[in-house]
Amino acid sequence: MDKFDVAVIGGGPGGYVAAARAAKSGFSVALIEARELGGTCLNRGCIPSKTMLKHAELIDQMKKARSYGITVNDISCSLPEMVQRKNKIVNQLRNGINGLLKQNNITFFHGYGVVQADKTIQIQLANETNYSIQSNHIILATGSKPFVPQIEGMNEVSFDTSDTIFDLKEIPSSLVIVGGGVIGLEIACVFHSLGSKVEIVEMAERILPSEDEATATFLAEQLEQKGILLHTGTKIIGLKKAKKTTVEIETKGERIQLQTERLLISAGRTPNLSGTEELPLEFTNGFIQVDQHMQTSIPGIYAIGDVIGGYQLAHVASHEGLQAVGHILGEKPASNIAVPRCVYTFPEIASVGMTEEQAKEAGYQVRIKKVDLTGNGKAIASGENQGFMKLIADKQYGEILGVVMVGAHVTEMISQATAFIHLEATVEEIETMIFPHPTASESLFETAAAWLGKGIHYN
Amino acid sequence: MAKEVFMPKLSSTMSIGTLLQWFKEVGDYVEVGEPLFEIMTDKINIEVESYEEGTLLKKYAKVDEDVPVNAVIGYIGEKGEEVPEQPPVYSKEDVEDTGLETMSEKEELKNDQNLLKQGKIRATPAAKRVAAEHNIELSSIQGTGPEGRIQEQDVRDSFDQKRVLSTPLAGKIAMENNLDIGAIAGTGSRGKIVKSDVLTHMNIKESVDTVPEIWKLSGLRKVIAQKMTESVQTIPHVTLTSEVDMSNAVSLRRALLPTIEQQTGYRLSYTEIIMKAVSYALRLHPRLNASLVENEIIMNHDIHIGLAVALDDALIVPSVKQADTKGLAELTKTSKMLGEKARNNQLSPEEMSGSTFTISNLGMYAIDGFTPIINPPETAILGVGRIMDKPVIVNGEVAVRPMMVTSLSFDHRAIDGAPAAAFLTELKSLLEDPYRWLV
Repeated sequence: MDKFDVAVIGGGPGGYVAAARAAKSGFSVALIEARELGGTCLNRGCIPSKTMLKHAELIDQMKKARSYGITVNDISCSLPEMVQRKNKIVNQLRNGINGLLKQNNITFFHGYGVVQADKTIQIQLANETNYSIQSNHIILATGSKPFVPQIEGMNEVSFDTSDTIFDLKEIPSSLVIVGGGVIGLEIACVFHSLGSKVEIVEMAERILPSEDEATATFLAEQLEQKGILLHTGTKIIGLKKAKKTTVEIETKGERIQLQTERLLISAGRTPNLSGTEELPLEFTNGFIQVDQHMQTSIPGIYAIGDVIGGYQLAHVASHEGLQAVGHILGEKPASNIAVPRCVYTFPEIASVGMTEEQAKEAGYQVRIKKVDLTGNGKAIASGENQGFMKLIADKQYGEILGVVMVGAHVTEMISQATAFIHLEATVEEIETMIFPHPTASESLFETAAAWLGKGIHYN
Repeated sequence: MAKEVFMPKLSSTMSIGTLLQWFKEVGDYVEVGEPLFEIMTDKINIEVESYEEGTLLKKYAKVDEDVPVNAVIGYIGEKGEEVPEQPPVYSKEDVEDTGLETMSEKEELKNDQNLLKQGKIRATPAAKRVAAEHNIELSSIQGTGPEGRIQEQDVRDSFDQKRVLSTPLAGKIAMENNLDIGAIAGTGSRGKIVKSDVLTHMNIKESVDTVPEIWKLSGLRKVIAQKMTESVQTIPHVTLTSEVDMSNAVSLRRALLPTIEQQTGYRLSYTEIIMKAVSYALRLHPRLNASLVENEIIMNHDIHIGLAVALDDALIVPSVKQADTKGLAELTKTSKMLGEKARNNQLSPEEMSGSTFTISNLGMYAIDGFTPIINPPETAILGVGRIMDKPVIVNGEVAVRPMMVTSLSFDHRAIDGAPAAAFLTELKSLLEDPYRWLV
């Protein structure tokens, strides 16, 4: 039986990053992946959605170009070609990971691994042969899968999840999305731009329940202005198959029937525990329970990424993977790392640190300053001045607790806020830094200056 | 006329300077205040500036040569001027007679004043080199050399200080809480001090600085405080210790315990046996029973033994009157009753006063000897430690005996060492041979 220092179950952004770090640290490493390298992120999540969002953005801009004096005639979209491009990108990145594994001498098993408590792993390889390995340390990075709630009439109709929606053959005339979270909203933007009539049904009182209320409200307004219909505080009563799919909803005490060509269920994600069934693990709310070192209740067995819950984000999974390897190496865990969160809707939302509500709850003397992008030169020039930047900081020391950015390209800008928080800079340091002009990013300077009562364009 | 260049005397302890380097060559023009040579003393490296203007005519001292202070090491004068081939040699007397030392000191002063006037940053070449190597501004360094001259060590210390890295937030929290950031251990990358380090430091500090409970001295506590202070400040205490073999005292107590208990209802303790022996010894050594009041030594005829009783937060000393006249049964009864009354706060003023000698027994604790404080106007006090089995030499053999340390503090104004020692020796012998009392 082959023996390894570290075996990683799952080749997503948590697993392959952990494997690479472990290998670079001198360990012998095995990586077991039943499906494709890159996991949900690369194959069915971040990358496909960003590819499609880029296509959508381009369509929007071409339509908008008319108001700039540029007329683009005959815009036509070929969804199969878009999907093909998406697949090409995914393939390219997958090959990159494959190369990374080779480069680091990581033994890759393309198969389904089942972990035993004695740290042996039975692998059913893709070619149906069985293989067993043993490893001193095991990192479970099995990820998550779309959660599909039980809805009456579900068996009658066909529906998509984020696993299938990016492989549609044609643009649906209408799309009802169940769930107004990050995934549902991004997909809504894609199909709205492609020309579908998009309606979102959300049980909670607002979309994006995980983010700051003002942000969610702002985005809701933006989406509604575009023509995306939002049904918040709305329950799904049932589904029916007629000529189209009928989605019966109850909103504000009223029952309505929505007719739609396609139905997307994006009601959250549930941990993928396959391969871990034999382990006597402890769980918290259905997710594998880990300590601050990412170690499960079984010493030497770690779990990272979506399977342990928390922020189900690729970069969080990667960070957790590095933490787990760090613990195997005997390093001290990093504490209180600020996690950036990005939503790639139109406009984008990027945030880091605490929300206003969380900061107040934590007992800080919170002062908030919000500066609109409406007057930002670069944003106006780009026709992208919808949005704002919001600084959440503690009055006592000017400690930066959180930053929210809403607007075009903010997902590329949030890292400057993250850097300030990570390096424990305070509002004063933002205010004394020189920001280039004209940029949308200089709004962060305006926000900090205004927070300090020293605003130039804002108070 | 050519002027001598002297090895300066830079400190009162400096007798020799080692020439490290000349900054000028023979024939070079030298201005006043220009560095001329560098020396090393027992303490520092220092550049010496020229006090004369002119041409360097001669260099007598070579690099690494040890030169006595005030010796001539060169000449500065007009170009072409004649100077001696060999340095002029001064005898010690000459040096003093010619007042060269004073001159040198004057020049030293002048040199320092020049430095101050110029406001220039003075640093040794080594310091300059190290500062340049590490890209450190000399102006940011506090020199510890003469007149603030920066030395190599100052530069090294400064970049050790500069290594105190902290995040802006950590720095602010430390500053607002008046913490010395240098005293905080950093856990960030490369030892950088981060917020959590400062908070941890503050928590530790807080737990140390927890506001203590404050009790005002009052009542009995205040009286004790005053009396103790008075005793210690006015009485020259001397404490003698002696170890007593308590074998016979132990047997005695064992023998009498049931009888006395039956008779009085109280259990005989060592305190009473010691009190009995003390009373007996005081009869033989009356000086120890004396009181000192102002300038008079009062030779008390009565022997009243004060017995230190510990209360919850106080110490009280009831007195066992005429202790020498009482038998062990009566002493036991009296002591126990006084003790009880003391603890119940029922002592009469009569019972609390009049003692002529005090016994303080800490034998119930793991205490061997101590230095008891005299209860004035008494002139002596006996401290009693625990009785402990110890190996002792008896007739050349090691034997295990119950041993007890007695500590006698006496007032050296009233008693001298020899009579006090004689008393303690007597007491030891009485305790070791209690049957003597019967004689």
